[in-house]
Amino acid sequence: MPQVRLTPGRVLALALVAFVCITTLTLASRNAGAQQPPGQAEAASPGKAVYDKHCVECHGSTGKGDGPAAMMMVPHPRDFTSGRYKIRSTETGSIPTDDDLLRSVRQGLYGSAMPAWEPILSDADIRAVVHYIKKLSPRFADEQPQPVTASSPVAATPESVTRGAAVYGKLECGKCHGNNGRGTGATATSFEDEWGYPLRAADLSEPWTFHGGPTPADVFMRFRAGISGTPMPSYQGAATDAEMWDLANYVGSMRRKPVWEMNAGEVAAFYKQQEADALANPVRRGEYLVNVLACPACHSPADSEKRMLPGMRLAGGLRMHLEPFGTYTTGNLTSDKETGLGNWTDDEIKRVITKGTLRDGTRLLPFPMDWPAFSTMKESDINAIVAYLRTVPPVRNKVPRPARTPLPAYIWGKFRMLILGEDIPSYFDGGNAGIAGGTQK
Amino acid sequence: MKRFLKWAAAIVAVVALVGFLAFLYNIPPFFLTPPEEFGADMAKAAPPVDTIADPAQRAIAARGRQIVMNTGCLGCHATNGSQGPDLTKYLAGGGVKIFSKHGTFVSRNLTPDPETGLARRTDEEVKRVLRSGTFPDGHVVSYTTMPWGNFSNWTEEDRHAVVVYLRNLPAVKHRIPDPSFEPADLPPDALEGIFGLKDYGIN
Repeated sequence: MPQVRLTPGRVLALALVAFVCITTLTLASRNAGAQQPPGQAEAASPGKAVYDKHCVECHGSTGKGDGPAAMMMVPHPRDFTSGRYKIRSTETGSIPTDDDLLRSVRQGLYGSAMPAWEPILSDADIRAVVHYIKKLSPRFADEQPQPVTASSPVAATPESVTRGAAVYGKLECGKCHGNNGRGTGATATSFEDEWGYPLRAADLSEPWTFHGGPTPADVFMRFRAGISGTPMPSYQGAATDAEMWDLANYVGSMRRKPVWEMNAGEVAAFYKQQEADALANPVRRGEYLVNVLACPACHSPADSEKRMLPGMRLAGGLRMHLEPFGTYTTGNLTSDKETGLGNWTDDEIKRVITKGTLRDGTRLLPFPMDWPAFSTMKESDINAIVAYLRTVPPVRNKVPRPARTPLPAYIWGKFRMLILGEDIPSYFDGGNAGIAGGTQK
Repeated sequence: MKRFLKWAAAIVAVVALVGFLAFLYNIPPFFLTPPEEFGADMAKAAPPVDTIADPAQRAIAARGRQIVMNTGCLGCHATNGSQGPDLTKYLAGGGVKIFSKHGTFVSRNLTPDPETGLARRTDEEVKRVLRSGTFPDGHVVSYTTMPWGNFSNWTEEDRHAVVVYLRNLPAVKHRIPDPSFEPADLPPDALEGIFGLKDYGIN
């Protein structure tokens, strides 16, 4: 091997060449992309076109109620393929009438993510989409709806309300809805519907959350027809129509003021009461926060249609390529001792949430996990989140540790972004990047 | 002597190069800033509600402020300046551009600016986006672009508080490009791509 003399120029040149080579190589290896598959084939019917544009995000492309946004919703969006509907004016077990379906689309379902489409879609579009969703279940072709024949309303007099209170006791409504109707009955903490999705007993003092509508006629119809797929039965036979009207009037009398109708004193008292409730039941408060803070959106892996993989809620494994920082996979937040938070102390969990620091001291970026924002939460709320995470059933899913980009590529990426001003996107991937239950994805 | 100068120049150049690389390595100084400072910045950035005259509205807006701050709306709806998010333009949008098979979307201006912000929308329209991801034109935003499937579980009263707070933010004029519904190219496994760092607003 001939001897190479180390001159200053050569050292400098070598350093530069090495820098450029390594960076271009690492860069080139990243840029191999593929094209999207071609778009949808034909537009079948006008109803399908409306459905595909406005409904799939919740109800899913096949109508099974499994769209990407559906996964965290309470209540869960309707599975149209079952032909079973909660909000009906028909006998138990019957399919709904066209008017029932049209009404739900037009007015939306209060207390759920289903908006009123009347101000957005034309009447023809609404009729077309109802026609389309009926075709998603064979029941509508095979069966005829059996509308209930209800007696005429009973006026909401004080006497009717008093009689309704007695009916409330007789039918044991308090078992689920609580004796005061506030939805905290003995068995009310957690319900599931027939599809296994979580469900809450309605808080009867909040008619603006009644899915089927707030009027006495709406409420009467829920008693009379029942709510399919939920623990709420039809009371046909157990009570007379007149008694159910009294009960509807009694429920109407339970209405409390919503916050937008309150004066300053009432608002203060209301928030104070909420805080006391949160302290009394931190798990429930924590569940609320984990859901609305969108923790499961990233801490659950998704399929290629962006739908959460079944059974993997909060089990982590969503892989993110954060340019130029590295590849970060979301953590397993379930109580699994080995791969989740089961062996973490409360303080270790709180440190990640509020300081973005893992228990081995690894610092996280201030995004996409927004721990700087979470650090502004009240102490009691952070405690509630920890209390709730403790109750999440264990799911085994071993998630890889954050992998920083190799140094030259990292620096080159920074150079492109900060000096050249280039746009370099970050990506998140479909599939589970963790090792679930001991088997690879 | 000449040799010495050459070496000195080379060393200076190498040191400068290494220094430059070290600078690139640590900018922005995410890992050098104490974690507590990030949170303090967040709390400072959210405009206070003391100026709201009506005490009931003030209390509701305070609740909304707490929710907006905790939820990290700023993570996407910030306006980036040359030094990262410009905290004086709280929630004026443009901070991220997200693209997927659904199209390309820039985070919107949530301040009550009459031309470019939420003053153009009714309370019910704003609530409908937060509850149903549905815009007045009927377009439904992808759940992964904005996690509204989670925000739909806010109680209606918490959602109301969020809107009251947004209505009381200082208005910032910052026009955001309209969404494009052309499907964007993505790497094979990717569900969605995100640009950050710059201001993707128009003016």
